[in-house]
Amino acid sequence: MRRAGRPRGEGPWPWLAAGSLALSLLMLAALLLLLAGRGLGHFWPAPVVLVTLDDGHQLAGQPVREERRRTLEGHWVRERLYRVGNRDLDGEAWRWVEVGRIVAEETPEAWAVIERRRWGELIVRPLALEEAGRRLTEAPLWSAFEARLERGRALAEERDALREEVIAPLARRLAAGHDDAAARERLVAAQARVAELQAAMARDVLVVESAAGERLSVPLAEITAAWRPNAMSPAEKLLAWGSNLWHFLSEGPEAANSAGGVWPAIFGTVLMVLLMSLLVTPFGVLAAVYLHEVAPQGRLTGWVRIAVRNLAGVPSIVYGVFGLGVFVYGLGGRLDAWFFAETLPSPTFGTGGLLWASLTLALLTLPVVIVATEEGLARIPDQQREAALALGATRAEMLRRVVLPMALPAMLTGVILAIARAAGEVAPLMLVGVAKLAPQVPVDGDFPYLHLERKFMHLGYHVFDVGFHGGDVEAALPLVYATALLLVGVILVLNLTAILLRHHLRARHAAPGTR
Amino acid sequence: MIDFSSLAVRRRQRWRQVRDRLATLLISACGIGVIVAVLAIGVFLVMAAWPLFSAPRVTAESASPGVEVAYPLQAPLPAGLEAWLREQRLERPPRALDERLWLAEAHRLARIDLAGEAPTLVARLPVVAPERRISAVASLAGGRSLIIADDAGGLRRWLVEERPPWLRLAKTYRDRGTPIEALWVRPGSRQFLVRDAAGLSLYDALAGERWRGELPAGEALGFDGEGHLLWRGEGVVRRLAIEAPHAEIDWRTLWLPQPYEGHAAPQQRWQSAGEGSLDEPKYGLTPLAWGTLKAAAYALLFAVPLALGAAVFSACYLPRRLRHRLKPTLELMEALPGVVIGFIAGLVLAPFVERHLAGSLALIVLLPLAMLLAGGLWAWLPTALRRHLPLGWAGLWLMPWLALWVALALWASPWLEAAWFGGDLRGWLAASLGLDVEQRNALIVGLAMGFAVIPSIFALAEDALSGVPASLGEGAQALGATRWQTLWKVLLPAAGPGVFSAVMIGAGRAVGETMIVLMATGNTALMSVNPLEGLRSFAANLAIELPEAVPGGTHYRVLLLSALLLFLFTFVVNTLAELVRRRLKRRYRRLGAGR
Repeated sequence: MRRAGRPRGEGPWPWLAAGSLALSLLMLAALLLLLAGRGLGHFWPAPVVLVTLDDGHQLAGQPVREERRRTLEGHWVRERLYRVGNRDLDGEAWRWVEVGRIVAEETPEAWAVIERRRWGELIVRPLALEEAGRRLTEAPLWSAFEARLERGRALAEERDALREEVIAPLARRLAAGHDDAAARERLVAAQARVAELQAAMARDVLVVESAAGERLSVPLAEITAAWRPNAMSPAEKLLAWGSNLWHFLSEGPEAANSAGGVWPAIFGTVLMVLLMSLLVTPFGVLAAVYLHEVAPQGRLTGWVRIAVRNLAGVPSIVYGVFGLGVFVYGLGGRLDAWFFAETLPSPTFGTGGLLWASLTLALLTLPVVIVATEEGLARIPDQQREAALALGATRAEMLRRVVLPMALPAMLTGVILAIARAAGEVAPLMLVGVAKLAPQVPVDGDFPYLHLERKFMHLGYHVFDVGFHGGDVEAALPLVYATALLLVGVILVLNLTAILLRHHLRARHAAPGTR
Repeated sequence: MIDFSSLAVRRRQRWRQVRDRLATLLISACGIGVIVAVLAIGVFLVMAAWPLFSAPRVTAESASPGVEVAYPLQAPLPAGLEAWLREQRLERPPRALDERLWLAEAHRLARIDLAGEAPTLVARLPVVAPERRISAVASLAGGRSLIIADDAGGLRRWLVEERPPWLRLAKTYRDRGTPIEALWVRPGSRQFLVRDAAGLSLYDALAGERWRGELPAGEALGFDGEGHLLWRGEGVVRRLAIEAPHAEIDWRTLWLPQPYEGHAAPQQRWQSAGEGSLDEPKYGLTPLAWGTLKAAAYALLFAVPLALGAAVFSACYLPRRLRHRLKPTLELMEALPGVVIGFIAGLVLAPFVERHLAGSLALIVLLPLAMLLAGGLWAWLPTALRRHLPLGWAGLWLMPWLALWVALALWASPWLEAAWFGGDLRGWLAASLGLDVEQRNALIVGLAMGFAVIPSIFALAEDALSGVPASLGEGAQALGATRWQTLWKVLLPAAGPGVFSAVMIGAGRAVGETMIVLMATGNTALMSVNPLEGLRSFAANLAIELPEAVPGGTHYRVLLLSALLLFLFTFVVNTLAELVRRRLKRRYRRLGAGR
């Protein structure tokens, strides 16, 4: 019976329990928010602030964050980190500024952020455009600059197309000994055109001035992107955000992985996971069917079942060790000795690669698939099997027509969970084939199209590598956030699918099971 | 009407039977194959680590005709030195030559430095008892250890130092025995052969005697290119093939402190030497085991209270609907990849905690207090307000409250530091407690790995608690127990083994987690309890070192041995937990879990 008014005291303990639940959830929420905020915020064009300090110095940069720091004298001061770019001018792309020393802050529209092929970003004020040393007077400056940048891009595209589609095939043909005058002539013409394009691209130069008053001439061919964040409307910023995000997803890494995109890593992760699921699905399902339907249900099977279940708890690095020892050094070394002896001692299959990585992860995720499938098989009521057998079906027919279709959602759940686990595993990959920067994607136009022996890039390893082996961690951090967010997003979506599927499955089988 | 006797039907029936057999066979073959392949992991690791402990094999065989001595038994002296020795009227005493020259003079050893223009005698050092005579001296690769044997059978290892006393006794292999006649160091290794009147022994500098056998008749010539001893007896050259690739490994050198070169006292140390390096490889597994357990212990210290608290709350207090939402959420938390948690811990949390050390440490005390304070305040709230903040939902509405306290503690961090620790907590910790503070430390690992382990412990513990037959709890409550009393007196005793197995599974996961430890610690193999210092775990060590280890080498096999230890530990822990869980399930069924 409940008393009205103050409920009977439960003591302090429930509050500690409630607090621990709240704290766990709080940490999870904080982690996800941090990832989402930093990962997605990176692509938003941040305003350029022109800061004047109390000693008259000026700097232009994008504020990153504030921290309280201790000075050498032991005072606490607030400092703000600015991303100032201009590494070739100032030597340092980041500046800590004491907040108390800032006299004035403004966001002038003329300031631009310019991304270059080398030396990273510039945060400068464009002054003039020059063509072959002659100053251009087209106005306004920025739209003229953008028009010329666009033209330069078109020229670069034409040049690349010429190189790839005309020069490279012709050169290959000539190298192969098909010497004919027409081809030679076309080659010379194409090369001349490329030289012409190069010259045209090199003509345009943007003259800029930094906050410290230094001037610099930047050839337009060096510039990959440029924007004036202070002059952009919110809609334009949103557009820029979208396009930055797209570049991140669709392009390769630049500047020793600390800039650019993660496309090869996405590709590598997906390809490896696909190969892995191709391997793990049939074997996992067959093993589960054997364990649950075919094997005599004795003590031995029970032990095997426990062992398989426990293998899911064995550290992933141990699987990596197994993969390295058995697949890479054992099988790979053997394959090399048999089929690739001519390239030895440089290994073909005797080193980490796509095939070994997917095999290792398949082994790692086998217990997941086996356990999930077995759970699904156990949920199928025995009446179904007995009915099928009573109607004259053989065991194979019963399995194929009755049991497996009913267990299909469970298998799917298992495979999805396996994929989610495999996509997040990095430790074993570090032993069996992931690469910091793979020059060649494992799929290309050369026979046999899918190169199982090649190393590949992986999102998780990318996070580790960029964050812990890169040079400028501060510059790479936003990219690491974005990559981590992508990885977490993929894994969460996969897991949610599995959870929903399982939910659906339980709802479906709950009725016949209890009947 | 179907005629069953017709031939076609019978043939089809037979075909179906055959197909059934084939399918069963296929399934069995695949299933057994897969299971064997999965279980092969343990077998492989055992096989790979086994050679470490196999006894060295020394066999006499006939040498191939063209074999030549690549390394003489004693390195010849440079011409100038030979002349100098003759000048000093020194006969041919036992000697060793590395960067210095060591000459035996009765019971003393003369250290002669060769760095200057002329050899200079630095010191004469009494290294054996006065009544004995040094009978052989040998210097190990790198010139930082001397092996000194005497005519009473003593055999000792001395470490070379750069200042007086110049030599320090590191290890006594034996003190007496048959007089030792000669010492031969195997080229390119830290093993040496000892010849005495009774026979020939193979020693490793760390592990001591590894083999003892007959002395072949004749005269030793030297070592061939592979480090096998060449021997001339009865006019033919014979070869003593010495197969001792892992002689330095036994359980003592793996687990006990060893007198390594360059250290004053025996050390627990893991420091693999690169290929071809002259440094002594140090394969002490204790620091790694320590690091592994330390990381796991701090993780569990953090995770177990939180996870169990959350599980208890979820099982006893949460409304049913909320519970069904919450469990998948925490399941998602389990799916977060270690590399992401490690990245946040190593690059974001570690510098942050370092800057707000006082506030972060204060949180450990402050947060439980804040939870209790919330309970106290809640009891005083007007009933109308309390109805909007039911205890069952406290797991959610406490979140902003706790966030507030976290923010408060971090904001107050500098003042805390100024008020209590003279404005410099790090300095205070170092001065008054002797604790070093590193940025990436065990506290961070504990926090990050604890975060990763919470969901697994939570899920299993919650299953165990909510699986207790409802009649038990209802009975207790009907007799007037509060929910907490019910939990403490009825549910926990019933579900205790399940909760325990949840903790074990969490421990297994914490021990094997790689990326978080790799990224959130400095990966220095230290042995300290200090939560503010780094560590190096087995798993992280494997990820760092295994790609560079030469397959089949000692380093490689020791690493595989550590993988085997990880495997065995997690496998045993998981098996125990699984068995406990099964028994518990049976118990619940007996208690009548029919709901």
